[in-house]
Amino acid sequence: MTETITTYEPDNSLKKGYLSIFSEIFNELKKNRWLTYQLFRRDFFALYKQSFIGVLWALIIPLVSVGTFIALNRSGIFTIGDINVPYPIYAILGMAFWQLFSTGLVASSNSLVNAGSMIVKINFSKKSLVIASTGQSIISFLIQFVLVGILFVYYGTAPSIAILLIPILVIPIMLLTLGLGFILSLLNGVVRDIGNILPVLMTFLMFLTPVLYANPTAGILATVTTYNPLYYLVSVPRDLILMGTISEWKGFLTASILSVIVFMVCLVVFHLTETRVAERI
Amino acid sequence: MDDDVAIKVEHVSKKYCKSLKRSMLYGIKDIARNTLGLSSHSDRLRKGEFWAVDDVSFEVKKGETLGIIGPNGSGKTTLLKMLNGIFWPDKGKITIKGRVGALIEVGAGFHPMLTGRENVYINAAILGMTKEEVDEKFDDIVEFAGIGDFIDTPVKFYSSGMFVRLGFAVAVHCEPDILLVDEVLAVGDEGFQNKCFNRIGELRKNGTTTIIVSHNMHIISIFVEKVIFLNNGKAKYFNSVAEGIKEYTKLFVNKEDLGIEKICSGNDKINFFDVKINQRIFHPGDSFLISMKYESLVNYNEADIDIAIWSSNEPVFYFQATNKAYNKKIDLKRGKHTLRIIIEDIRINNAMAKIAIAIWSENRTELLFWWRIPVEFKGVNYSTGKNFLNVLYKIDD
Repeated sequence: MTETITTYEPDNSLKKGYLSIFSEIFNELKKNRWLTYQLFRRDFFALYKQSFIGVLWALIIPLVSVGTFIALNRSGIFTIGDINVPYPIYAILGMAFWQLFSTGLVASSNSLVNAGSMIVKINFSKKSLVIASTGQSIISFLIQFVLVGILFVYYGTAPSIAILLIPILVIPIMLLTLGLGFILSLLNGVVRDIGNILPVLMTFLMFLTPVLYANPTAGILATVTTYNPLYYLVSVPRDLILMGTISEWKGFLTASILSVIVFMVCLVVFHLTETRVAERI
Repeated sequence: MDDDVAIKVEHVSKKYCKSLKRSMLYGIKDIARNTLGLSSHSDRLRKGEFWAVDDVSFEVKKGETLGIIGPNGSGKTTLLKMLNGIFWPDKGKITIKGRVGALIEVGAGFHPMLTGRENVYINAAILGMTKEEVDEKFDDIVEFAGIGDFIDTPVKFYSSGMFVRLGFAVAVHCEPDILLVDEVLAVGDEGFQNKCFNRIGELRKNGTTTIIVSHNMHIISIFVEKVIFLNNGKAKYFNSVAEGIKEYTKLFVNKEDLGIEKICSGNDKINFFDVKINQRIFHPGDSFLISMKYESLVNYNEADIDIAIWSSNEPVFYFQATNKAYNKKIDLKRGKHTLRIIIEDIRINNAMAKIAIAIWSENRTELLFWWRIPVEFKGVNYSTGKNFLNVLYKIDD
């Protein structure tokens, strides 16, 4: 048996240079696949074991939000805008993509803090912890898609064949979620304010992004939307499913590249500084 | 690094911050500096920081067992966590050959809602085992834990003993090259503890390098070949376990204790004077002799004399008895006399203690004399426990 030699010294990764960092990260992720899966499984089952409706909880938030918007629209308080598909399909689909980001980010940014007692006692891959915590939002996403399927049948319409591209189209938003999750979980480990502000920030961002309403054509919100990468990451996959065409592929491409960059940078930062967390958490 | 060395620790230091708010600030700064590729200058102390482990160096050879002892807050656990890679040193370098398994906390990552079976897999994964390893050892783990049918019950319905046993069972089945044990051996009932000791012994026999942190000098003396004594983050290395343990017990000598507490030396009718004590440091087998001259104006018949010996750092009585336990009637007659009390053949091992002598009038209505005398009982090499008994070894034909 060949013995692995491990060394611990201050600023260890810096001495090795940036190039070897990527292979180090890759090897660690590969080696810990099973651990990541087990952690995900634990979170998943633990969440729903002592619950009557179990995974169907994933439907509650989108249904309540969409219901509220329909009610507001009907009573003329709020105009949803011009949408040429049944609104519930549009909104639930939007919420599904949006929640992939929002619940994933909230969960991952809390992942290190929640496992604090474990982190200070056992040495294991903290990246697995962060990645596993976003698994829950993926399960919710899948369940919400079942609801979308039911709605399609109910309204007698069919999605575009491009729905098959969904697994690829969600990659950018997931990379963005993970990347931000890495860095925020780290900061949350040191400064707890992050975990408190994030859910509030998510609600604010959701209303700022055309998830539950149509893309505004004028006003300050229209300008904001143009520069909002989340808008492209949510609405382009949705448009593709509903209409089968992409009108804003440039924005989507830019947002995707941005997501990849965010992911890479945050992963490297996390790798370089994760050893700092155990002593501060 | 030599081939036969498993762990090499070179001038390792670790600092902590006393203030939470500062700790946050420093944390952010360190993260920022590391991100930008700058050194975090961790070798310097900033305001409010202190060295929890200070310039510690040692080597552990393959298959060797090392004990780490020291008072609370001396840096033992921090050192162990650095060896495990949970904390990284701020100064110096640690080199480790082989897979490290740590018994720092058992049952980490157990989720109360999940069954024992599910938790075994999760815990094993966290401890670094592969799926194949767990599949292979699963039955052994369940058997070791001795929880039987409960394996498919949610862990929240386990007794605390079962919980710990299952956690321990997973941990000891890791088969690490290097095993780090932190004070967790004191779990479960005696039957289970024996199992744990046997398992650790088995691992050692198979060449596992072991480091044990414990306050229990008994465990240290039976398991360990070499000892590191930590105090205020500084380390002293002992090749002899007995020497290390002595250093540790010496720590609990309070210099003020050397003074005798003379709570009462007589009253207006009786006066004890010229009290002599033969010695203050004892080896097993020595006798304690106190002689006291007294002058009394009255007869104190049927006096009670209490003698007690207790440890000065734990609430343990080594001995307590009155003269009645020996069917001895004591009459302190009027006039000038000398009272001698001899405690023969004391067999207390390795303790700082106090001997108290109290004399009462009949039916304890009046306290006539009460002194507390600090003494030291020396330890015998290769022996722990509170007493050192006379043991005879005989082999008959």
